Amino acid sequence: MFEIGRLCVKIAGRDAGKKCVVVDILKENYVLIDGLTRRRKCNLTHLEPLKEKIDIKKNASAEDVKKAFKKLGIDLVTKKSKKSTIKPKKVKVIKKSVEEKAKKKVKKVKAETEKKEDIKVTPKKEVNVESKKKE
Amino acid sequence: MQPSKTKSRSFRRVFKRVISKTKVFYEQRKPKAAKCADCGAKLKGVPRLSATKAKNAPKTYKRPERPYGGELCSRCTRIRIKENIK
Repeated sequence: MFEIGRLCVKIAGRDAGKKCVVVDILKENYVLIDGLTRRRKCNLTHLEPLKEKIDIKKNASAEDVKKAFKKLGIDLVTKKSKKSTIKPKKVKVIKKSVEEKAKKKVKKVKAETEKKEDIKVTPKKEVNVESKKKE
Repeated sequence: MQPSKTKSRSFRRVFKRVISKTKVFYEQRKPKAAKCADCGAKLKGVPRLSATKAKNAPKTYKRPERPYGGELCSRCTRIRIKENIK
């Protein structure tokens, strides 16, 4: 019943309800199918045979299957794989000039040094002296 | 009959044993399992989610990805497709 070229309808899985053709017989219960479904191995219990038959050779390529399906009035749409395109690199826009940045750095360093000096000026010893006086 | 949504005690009570004591835990009730439209069998691959969780869950998580998925069981879909061919 499931010879090479037999039209079938897939019953199970995500390709259920789609037409396909037997391309090759692999084992006792397994065949290779192609058509509106993906080209894949399939269990015979997942297929329902139709009356029609197509003339194709054993292990026919996807293009041959496409031509055979066109005679029945079914167009197979093959997906085109997209070419990988290189993304244009983003160029950083420098708003501030280099001189301004250098000036800011100097200001920052100055501010930090001043803070450190302030901390050094107020040691803990003075507090101790006042406490001793009170005693 | 009053819907369980408007009841004050609609949560499910679960008794669990916690270190030599039985304690009461309150859990929200789940909806009933989805059933096949033809034979009435429980559908596999359809989770029992509340309405708010089902809204945010992806579609592929809520039903099998085949024709009549989430409506009919796998056995009935095969019969239905065979009938459609004839």
